[in-house]
Amino acid sequence: MAVRILLVDDHPIVRQGLRTLLEGRSGWEVVGEAADGLEALDKVDSLRPDIVVLDVTMPRMNGLEACRLIQKQKQKTSGLEVLFVTQHDSPQMMREALDAGARGYVVKSNAARDLLEAVEAVSQHRIFTALARSPQASC
Amino acid sequence: MKLRILLADDHEIVRRGLCALLQKHEGWEVCGEASDGREAVEMAKQLKPDVVIVDIGMPNLNGLDTTRQLLQHDPQFKVIVLTITDSDQVIREALDAGARGFVLKSDAARDLVAAVEALQSKRMFFTPRVNDLVLAGFLEKGHAISRNEPPNLPTLTVREREVTQLLAEGKSSKEVASLLNLSTKTVETHRSNIMRKLSLHSIRDLVVYAIKNNIIQVQMPPQFRNTTENTIA
Repeated sequence: MAVRILLVDDHPIVRQGLRTLLEGRSGWEVVGEAADGLEALDKVDSLRPDIVVLDVTMPRMNGLEACRLIQKQKQKTSGLEVLFVTQHDSPQMMREALDAGARGYVVKSNAARDLLEAVEAVSQHRIFTALARSPQASC
Repeated sequence: MKLRILLADDHEIVRRGLCALLQKHEGWEVCGEASDGREAVEMAKQLKPDVVIVDIGMPNLNGLDTTRQLLQHDPQFKVIVLTITDSDQVIREALDAGARGFVLKSDAARDLVAAVEALQSKRMFFTPRVNDLVLAGFLEKGHAISRNEPPNLPTLTVREREVTQLLAEGKSSKEVASLLNLSTKTVETHRSNIMRKLSLHSIRDLVVYAIKNNIIQVQMPPQFRNTTENTIA
């Protein structure tokens, strides 16, 4: 069964780049896009993705807040995982993201290198974190 | 013959998005991709693209200095600047640098094709805010841009600006020398000239100057940001 992915970033050009990268992998399907946290919550509800690829810095509602609220919806969307793709190459921000309930954290500057591996790990409910210099996957 | 476009952005994911967008247009091809300004200048010299699209916030050599160096090498280059902000200062600097197009990254999916089409037809492309600023400058002062304060940047030479960026990014004089193919002693001479010209006293002062003048850009966590602000650092 295909892994269903929702892309959330306020820049359409970044969503396009992420889509191009993810759709190259058979068995993965980008089922929707959202431009901020509020729209993401609606789309999680309506599209029931397996993975939400989420930016941190967005208008209206940032990714951390959206991630916390997605966790509260999780009973309705069992199996759903959140993977952050962000500009913030910072251990503190990574910790905040994991505390908010995310399973994955990838830095935008290295997304082309790390994202496929991260989605693979997160789709199997494993944690994947990668700051700019050190990708790490763990169970 | 196809219109050849060179892309320069330090994020591969953004380049992928830009490529996908531009290559939908029949008659255009992305002839090269660079991940910083220095690479963009070298590739442009070799590939001689019809249009160069440069991100402002790139490491090693930012997009504004990339534009200056490209046009210094060949004034025929047509450059579109991609930016996360259309503040007055960034607009002034982009126009001063010689950019013929100015597109906000957040609007790139909508505006970039129109910008390339404009340059292809030997026109310029600017966001409405740039047009307003230029018009206001003509109306108020009789020249192209209204300047509330003189820009600080022209006091530095092209080489000094390169050195400023690299030092502000945290590189040592030895690392800067290696990147620019200079001796460490020459870099240190540039460094002391920069500090003297700008009346700076420490590397911390230099970093603040570089941030204020868009030579480098910094990432701010969301709790320190206005939520309506857009960024791709």
